[in-house]
Amino acid sequence: MNEEKDILQSLAGSGNPFRAPEGYFDALEDRVMTRIAADAAEQPQRPVWRILKPALTLAAAFAIIFGMGYGVLALTHTLDRGVGTSASEGFASVEEELIRPISLIEYYQSEPVEENAELDEETLVDYLSSSLSWADLADIYAQSY
Amino acid sequence: MTDQEILKLYREGGREAAFRLLVQTYKERLYWHIRRMVLDHDDADDCLQNTFLKAWRSLDGFRGDARLYTWLYRIATNETLTFLSNQQKRGEYVGLDAADRLSSDTWFDGDRVQAALHKAIAKLPPKQKAVFNLRYFEEMPYEQISRVLETSEGALKASYHHAYEKVKAWMQAALD
Repeated sequence: MNEEKDILQSLAGSGNPFRAPEGYFDALEDRVMTRIAADAAEQPQRPVWRILKPALTLAAAFAIIFGMGYGVLALTHTLDRGVGTSASEGFASVEEELIRPISLIEYYQSEPVEENAELDEETLVDYLSSSLSWADLADIYAQSY
Repeated sequence: MTDQEILKLYREGGREAAFRLLVQTYKERLYWHIRRMVLDHDDADDCLQNTFLKAWRSLDGFRGDARLYTWLYRIATNETLTFLSNQQKRGEYVGLDAADRLSSDTWFDGDRVQAALHKAIAKLPPKQKAVFNLRYFEEMPYEQISRVLETSEGALKASYHHAYEKVKAWMQAALD
């Protein structure tokens, strides 16, 4: 750098050949502060609607999306079917339906029994031995007599 | 007064007093930096005032992770590069026009050789001119120039070297 600078300085010499007008730097602070004050005065006051514009735009966008969603649901009659359940709620209800223990009486009451249907004795014994414990059978016996 | 003292005064409510101190501290260094870029005093004055106006508008957001000096140089350099770019877009290749007028400029005391040097520098592309001036005249370390121009040190060294070779060649051609 210094060597490079020396070559150019040997050509052009050193020192600052430029000058500023007399008193230019003395008055500069005042001129800058005057310019700043003028700039502040020129800045127009933002009207309220312009301040609220971003929030209003966002609210309008949400309203449009909500309206479109509601319209689609109304047109496809999805709303009439009631509010859907969450996945976990749905699973719980299925689980309850499948796993819930059922008494023999409930079983017979829930099954549509044909009026003239005949129940084979062997089937009945098979069902009772596979589905019920001795305690349940003792209960049924006690209720019958 | 140090940068920290100026910023402390500004944040404690003495905004105008602090800004006056900032202008007082940096006005001459920034003026000469801009003046070497644009050559003409009136243009330099416009760029300098715009620099301080922009500094005033954004001083609230100054986080203090850079020095005020570097931050102001960055604003001044960008302001000057924008000014030169606008002039070029308007087809007023002003750097060279101003360089041509140097010999008759009231605010230029240099001789024919110094005028040739500044005329050669005026031919450089604007950003290369900024690198050359910051390094050659202000002897700013590459690390600081890197923060001012937001360019890597390696790129700056290459840019300075190319600029120097061009300026030297143009000067020798002008003086032969």
